[in-house]
Amino acid sequence: MSFDVLFSQFMSGIARAALLFLVASGLSLTFGVLRVLNFAHGSLYMLGAFLSYSIWKFLLMPVLGFYLAAIIAALIMGAVGILIEYVLLRRLYARGWPEQLLATYAIVLIIMDLVKWAWGGEFLSIPRPKPFTGAVLLFGFPFPSYNFFVILLGLGLLVFLWWLIYKTRFGDIIRAAAHDREMVSALGIPIPWLFTWIFVLGAFIAGLSGAVTAPFGSVALGMDIEIIIECFAVVVIGGMGSLPGTLLGSFIVGEVYAFGIMLKPELAIAFIFMVMAVVLIIRPWGIFGRPER
Amino acid sequence: MKKIAILSVLVFVFSIVSVSMVMAQAKKAAPASTKEPIKLGVIYDFVGGCHMYSETGVKGIKIALDEINAKGGILGRKLDFIVRDTEGKADVAVRETKDLILREKVHFLIGPCSSGMGLAMQVIHSEYKVLRISAIANTEAMTVDKFSPYFVQVVPNTYMEAIAATRYLHKKVPTAKKFCTIAPDYEFGRREEAAFEEEIKRLVPGVEILYQAWPKLGEKDFTAFITAIMAKKPDAVHSSLFGGDLVSFTKQAAPYGFFQSVPFIALYDFPVLLALGPDAPEGTFGFGRGCFFMDPNPKMMEFVEKFRKFTGTYPDAWAVQNYDAIYLLKAAIEKAKTIETEAVIKAIEGMPFEGLRQKFTIRPLDHMGTVPCYQGTIAKDPNYPFKIWKDITRVPGEQVIRPEASVREIWKKTGVTR
Amino acid sequence: MVIKQTEQKESMLKRGWWLILLIIIFLIAPAFLSEFYLTVLCEALVMSLFALSFNLLFGYMGQLSFGQAAFYGLGGYTVAMLITKVQFNFWLSIIAGVLVASVIGLIVGFFCVRLRGIYFAVLTLAFGQLIFSVVFKWHDFTGGDDGIQGVFPPEFLKSPTNYYYFLLIVFLLSAFVLWKIIHSPFGQTIISMRENSERTEFLGIHIAKYQLITFVIAAAFAGLAGAIWVPFYRSVAPSYLTWIKSGEPVMAAILGGPGLFFGPVLGMFIMTFFHSWVLGFTIYWPVVMGALILAVIFFLPGGILGFIQEKVNERKEIRNRE
Repeated sequence: MSFDVLFSQFMSGIARAALLFLVASGLSLTFGVLRVLNFAHGSLYMLGAFLSYSIWKFLLMPVLGFYLAAIIAALIMGAVGILIEYVLLRRLYARGWPEQLLATYAIVLIIMDLVKWAWGGEFLSIPRPKPFTGAVLLFGFPFPSYNFFVILLGLGLLVFLWWLIYKTRFGDIIRAAAHDREMVSALGIPIPWLFTWIFVLGAFIAGLSGAVTAPFGSVALGMDIEIIIECFAVVVIGGMGSLPGTLLGSFIVGEVYAFGIMLKPELAIAFIFMVMAVVLIIRPWGIFGRPER
Repeated sequence: MKKIAILSVLVFVFSIVSVSMVMAQAKKAAPASTKEPIKLGVIYDFVGGCHMYSETGVKGIKIALDEINAKGGILGRKLDFIVRDTEGKADVAVRETKDLILREKVHFLIGPCSSGMGLAMQVIHSEYKVLRISAIANTEAMTVDKFSPYFVQVVPNTYMEAIAATRYLHKKVPTAKKFCTIAPDYEFGRREEAAFEEEIKRLVPGVEILYQAWPKLGEKDFTAFITAIMAKKPDAVHSSLFGGDLVSFTKQAAPYGFFQSVPFIALYDFPVLLALGPDAPEGTFGFGRGCFFMDPNPKMMEFVEKFRKFTGTYPDAWAVQNYDAIYLLKAAIEKAKTIETEAVIKAIEGMPFEGLRQKFTIRPLDHMGTVPCYQGTIAKDPNYPFKIWKDITRVPGEQVIRPEASVREIWKKTGVTR
Repeated sequence: MVIKQTEQKESMLKRGWWLILLIIIFLIAPAFLSEFYLTVLCEALVMSLFALSFNLLFGYMGQLSFGQAAFYGLGGYTVAMLITKVQFNFWLSIIAGVLVASVIGLIVGFFCVRLRGIYFAVLTLAFGQLIFSVVFKWHDFTGGDDGIQGVFPPEFLKSPTNYYYFLLIVFLLSAFVLWKIIHSPFGQTIISMRENSERTEFLGIHIAKYQLITFVIAAAFAGLAGAIWVPFYRSVAPSYLTWIKSGEPVMAAILGGPGLFFGPVLGMFIMTFFHSWVLGFTIYWPVVMGALILAVIFFLPGGILGFIQEKVNERKEIRNRE
């Protein structure tokens, strides 16, 4: 197999990895701090995609329309995040995690029907926005420029999260809270406030990544479940709650899938879960994960 | 003492069970009224790639029923219909079928869209002896491998459709020797590609199939499949992607220059062309099941006007087939002079019928309609605000239907006796 | 001590009467239910068995499995493949279904019991998805997305009434066995491990081994539920193995009350009948279910049966005080 063939397959894996990282980073962040595994993260992603489609249609702006729609959709999802955290999750922190898990599962079901009711089951799609409509030649092989946009956005999010977590005071608090909740509370930092903001940030990221996928493929029911399952694979491989882990997990899942399709298309999805099983057998808490306490 | 106690409990249990069983049996015989409306159960998949087909299919049914009811119904009875959704899940399809038969007590079934659902349903309605007509789902297994007398097909099945499409592709690119395929990974896609392989091996000696991609039904990200196919450098690609899946695929493949570099055939029918708008790749080949631009006969154009008045848009092949299905059922009931299932089946077998796609008959052997298949090349047309086909071929069903001897051959293997 | 024993016996007897009455109702149900509702009742019985298997892990071992549907599906697929592909004996197929589910349960359980809490949930979910994706994609072997159709039971079980009695017998026997397991020394050890894992470890009990055995038993009963269900619906599809299906017993347990043996059964009955009733007039079933879950989590923390028992206990206490 020649180099350009492998390279183009590698690049389509990277594009997928970037998309997965966009979604999974929010999931991982929420889990790392709140210790709540948010099943509804995929639903927020889906809702973000549908919202951006409707806003884009409403705006009717040829160039800026999509970018504006994406940001507005993400902001709305942030607001939805406040609602979910404030109304539901906050009342459940004192209870067991099974109840928290089930509450987010209930949100999955509710959003699923909400979307079905509001948009129906059709495939919707937004054309690729300017200037990312065409393709770029890489080693003589065409490569859609929108994929580059997604990759750049993924890198941007990575840098932002890294800066937020490791370079700011807010990040110090986040890391401290992930490590020892009581200690942070004892220092006089209001934990509920912290939790709300983290959840909102997660929801915002979910909404944004949903909007970004709209021109990538298509917007349809069922994308919530598909993405959340792959995101679970990502965070489980990388280690739940770890930023470098999410990055590595996204890369592994994206590439395993891309090359799986080339070698044995029938088993491409199964390959992902096989890799995950192997990782878990060697390191039950994922590559960068910390053992539970 | 203990023995007697156990024995008496056993006798007691046995007696209530047997009485219950007798009573359960007795409930079944319900008298049928001859004045009540004839009830049709319509099951479709309002999800993913099937969604758009299911919706216009139901519209086709609605138009046909309104027309018939306005003229006094069938045998003086009005027609009524109930629509159910399989959600694209086989277990839901089975549950809804049972629900329609047992709770709603429908007389006939129409549907579904996905072939996988169709197979799961077929076992159930055959057991309850309710006749189903398929107007979208078209796996050959429903009429051949898993034949049931309680099933009638008015859609060209996967075998007929793929044979006709393969011949068209071969006519257009006669030198092509190396092929790739991409098809949704379920009954329909598997069957279409199997028939493609069978026919292309007959047409092109020494043909090579380099790579077969099986994205799941409802796949949204085709990027990795597209690069994998292009890497193989095939002479042509045969595909049975359809609906929303084909729209996604086309949009994602275009930036790679896919359609300029490889001759490609897929189910580019009217709704897909409409959804793609200017993105529909001109010069790419399509196959379809009969809509206004594929078969502009007077009856079809009359239906187009009715449909446009009702919905504001053009009808696609799915509306056409559902409309045909209702009129076929009407003709059969009127011939049988009863809605009793067995009599209607007897009437339908071999009955000549003229619908929107011109004349066809239901073959008595396997209840397969000799319906036509259509192929064409995507092109602009000044008369329409969307792209349609040029170079259209209409292949009558008789030319591509599986020969009766071959059907019997398969029945021998699958244990169907008829 | 003596008084306490007679008291227990008395309450056992009281409970026994309830049970006998319930069983009689179930025995005569086919005489009064239409075939449609009989079908729903069959589904409720099978799903209840599935929920009981899940609750062995959740309610008694204290671990939430989000991959239980994989075993349910494996049982179903084994039966479907044996009956349709090699015309295997119906009864032996069901036993084979249970065996396959147990063996896969042993392998999956081996990795899962090393983890606790949310990690256990995610790992079972991941393994469930792995099994699902293999079944979903292995078209030549499992029928892929389409599943397998034409899975018929023997002639005398083809009528829904007869199959109902068959399901009822299997359900009652399984429930009895599970009850016995929980009330055996083995079951008590499992429960005490949930309460205090360090102390039981201290007592020289190998926790992982006990939990693995429990995991396998749960997988076996989930497999049995799938195995007896598929011939009734005549087909099996990959959606039987998805995490959405795994979520159903979780909901049932929370709804009915995970702390009580029959809690998940009550939950499943409510869910199944509610479902078939709601479907008659709306397609928006998930939103109803979602709202129901939230309502139970917020207003009935112990589930419905748990709530009833709490009230009964309260009243008893008041009476005792008087």
